[in-house]
Amino acid sequence: MSLAALKSVIDAISAPTISFTILTVAFPFFFPPTDWFEKIHRKLGFWRLWTKKGGIIGLLLITAFFVLGYFDKNFNITLTKPDNFPIVLLIYSMFFYIWLGMYKAYQNDERLDAGLKPNEYNDPDDKVLVWPDLVYIEFIALILFQVFLIVWSILVAAPIEEPANPAATPNPSKAPWYFLGLQEMLVYFDPWLAGVVFPTMIILGLMAIPYMDINKKGDGYYTFKERRVGIFIFMYGWIVLWLFLIVIGTFFRGPNWNFFGPFEYWDTHKVVALNNVNLSELFWVKLLAKGLPSNILIRESLGFIAVFVYLFVLPVILIKTKLKGTYETYGPTRFVSLMIFGLGMLALPIKMYLRWAINLKYIVAIPEWFFNI
Amino acid sequence: MSENKQAPRAAVGSSTTSPGSDNNDIRRRGFFRWLALGWLAFAAATGGFFIVIIRFLYPNVLFEPPQTFKIGFPDEFSPNSVDTRFKKKHNAWVVRDDESIFALSTTCTHLGCTPNWLLTENKFKCPCHGSGFRITGINFEGPAPRPLERFKIGLLDDGQILVDKTKSYKWEKGEWENKDSFLKV
Amino acid sequence: MEKPDNKKPLLERMGESQVWKSIIRSGVPRTRRQRMHAILGSVFLHLHPARLPKHAVKVGYTWCMGGLSFFLFVNLTITGILLMFYYRPTVEYAFTDIIDLAEQVPLGIMRELHRWTAHAMVLIVWLHMVRVFMTGSYKPPREFNWGVGVILMTLTLLLSFTGYLLPWDQLAIWAVTVGSNMARATPFLGHEGPGAALLAIGDINLIHVGSDVRFALLGGRFVGEATLLRFYVLHCIGIPFIAMIFMAVHFWRIRKDGGISGPL
Repeated sequence: MSLAALKSVIDAISAPTISFTILTVAFPFFFPPTDWFEKIHRKLGFWRLWTKKGGIIGLLLITAFFVLGYFDKNFNITLTKPDNFPIVLLIYSMFFYIWLGMYKAYQNDERLDAGLKPNEYNDPDDKVLVWPDLVYIEFIALILFQVFLIVWSILVAAPIEEPANPAATPNPSKAPWYFLGLQEMLVYFDPWLAGVVFPTMIILGLMAIPYMDINKKGDGYYTFKERRVGIFIFMYGWIVLWLFLIVIGTFFRGPNWNFFGPFEYWDTHKVVALNNVNLSELFWVKLLAKGLPSNILIRESLGFIAVFVYLFVLPVILIKTKLKGTYETYGPTRFVSLMIFGLGMLALPIKMYLRWAINLKYIVAIPEWFFNI
Repeated sequence: MSENKQAPRAAVGSSTTSPGSDNNDIRRRGFFRWLALGWLAFAAATGGFFIVIIRFLYPNVLFEPPQTFKIGFPDEFSPNSVDTRFKKKHNAWVVRDDESIFALSTTCTHLGCTPNWLLTENKFKCPCHGSGFRITGINFEGPAPRPLERFKIGLLDDGQILVDKTKSYKWEKGEWENKDSFLKV
Repeated sequence: MEKPDNKKPLLERMGESQVWKSIIRSGVPRTRRQRMHAILGSVFLHLHPARLPKHAVKVGYTWCMGGLSFFLFVNLTITGILLMFYYRPTVEYAFTDIIDLAEQVPLGIMRELHRWTAHAMVLIVWLHMVRVFMTGSYKPPREFNWGVGVILMTLTLLLSFTGYLLPWDQLAIWAVTVGSNMARATPFLGHEGPGAALLAIGDINLIHVGSDVRFALLGGRFVGEATLLRFYVLHCIGIPFIAMIFMAVHFWRIRKDGGISGPL
């Protein structure tokens, strides 16, 4: 009874609306970007996640979730699909290594506070020989990993389904797991944005990181305190907007791309009301109680204004007010790139919440020109 | 370096006005002209080569199923039904409503998956992202931004219906008014 | 000719033989000098410097992820070449060849090894990126190499994606259909992308289903025979070729940008 209740609670909070909100709200408390968050982070004990105890408890919770899933007849089906095993590895390894990085960062932060050099520091004259000190480590790592791969290959057969049939689309049809973050974005954005513009911006944005981050500290050692804003922004994008969307896409998206809790049965006939409306319809039809104007540009004018304000007016306002100091230290070129990539990144959660709150489909909807935002 | 380049140019002007000036400038001017021409030719050849390579990606003949096909006589299709016989081979549904017959493309307008005709729910439903289309092809749920496309349809002399996939009609452009996009019955 | 000294241990005698010395010029690497020579003299090992600061050889600092990424690439090349002996990229044979690889070929786990190594490589490359970010190793003078790394990560994903189609089963064809259909919507270059309709001469659209960027990728209007061949070629030669060039730059620049990062 209590197990079933626990499962239904997990099912309920897994819904993107709730889990995404929880993650987003909790995120700055785990990676505090400002003094205020840092204070709460210390006071309420969020920092304990980055201690040995926190890491072990985290790993145990993940294990408990998978054990529960393994013995659940619904979750078992998704969990044991051979191509989903990498996701299990992804969850474990990403948690462990991000924890490890933060754990080492916190150790170094304490050393730096005490006026010591970071753990990684050593006397420049005291060097070790690559043969054998490094070569044997590489050799052992390589052998261990090869053994792991062979064991994995023996235990899990590679998936092979029915021969390709262009006429029968399986339900659901999923991209390879590493692209499921993009496929999840497709729920909220049109293909030209989610499939072309965003991937391009992700790649360019990643490449631009070293040029936008002018903080000279924290080069060559783990630290959080000296680069907290940078780490916060990167980790939010990486964990919440990429890895978490992959997990949703793999475990929580069933037939017709409907949401299913991990312990829920994938019912093909689950009915979900999908009556999304465009901003133009909201404005002209619902608010003004008129028909849609026949001129496309007038019809979508409100959407165009909204996008224009978001992309062009908002940064100017920010320069004048809150980010004045940032603008002055970063200079115009860096500030503009920060704004382009930052606003692009934020567009995803904004659109998600607009969808969930008012069923908004498109801000600008011109299907005639394949131009939907 | 840049100074060297600037200097002759300034001298060139004076050399044309005074014919007796240094020969060297004229030779240098000629050299830069040939250099510019050479680079231009190089750029044009490289550009042309890349265009040829891109053109190489598009073959002249495609070994795909024919784009036009016969589907039978109009009275073979019962009113208000969807005929799914041509889905597998030709990627088209033949729909007959109260007054017309039309051929719908089976390509979902969202990401090109193939939706399924759900008889009981009277709609086309795409398994990839859950887009739903009414029997007319109009989208009403899910992420699909626009209705399914219709193919050109017409009667042959022998009374059979011919579907031509090379021409498609989009609702949002008002093309479903076009006489070739449906067959009156 | 010097007479071999039979009293010396075998290993030592081997280390002094002409054959050994012709391969490893410094003999058995025992002394500090010989050990440095072992690294410097080997075309493979001289990717590394001869000496490193202490923190740089610690697994706790590097997590060994960069080295593992390269190792997995080599691993995938070898298993991939072996798979190519049996696999024919045609609609007629592709699927059955994959089945045969498990059932008719000795050591029936070659495809598993290849597939799981590929998945692992995506993970390892991502972890490598997280590590480099967490240690701030992208900061000057290593900005450019971080960019090269991002390109290599993208190429890893593309390699994995092109390989996904080759088994030619339902999983493969639909994952690739969903993925490649996004190319339809490429602005200006895709036939369902914004702005594509502007590229027209009079009534004739320049960008249509038979001339857009997706067609160049698929070699047809839908995922079919030509797509299988194009993806096969990209997977086996095209992308690995590009990746190797970028890898060479990546490794070279690690050394030229001052070796592995560390605190000053």
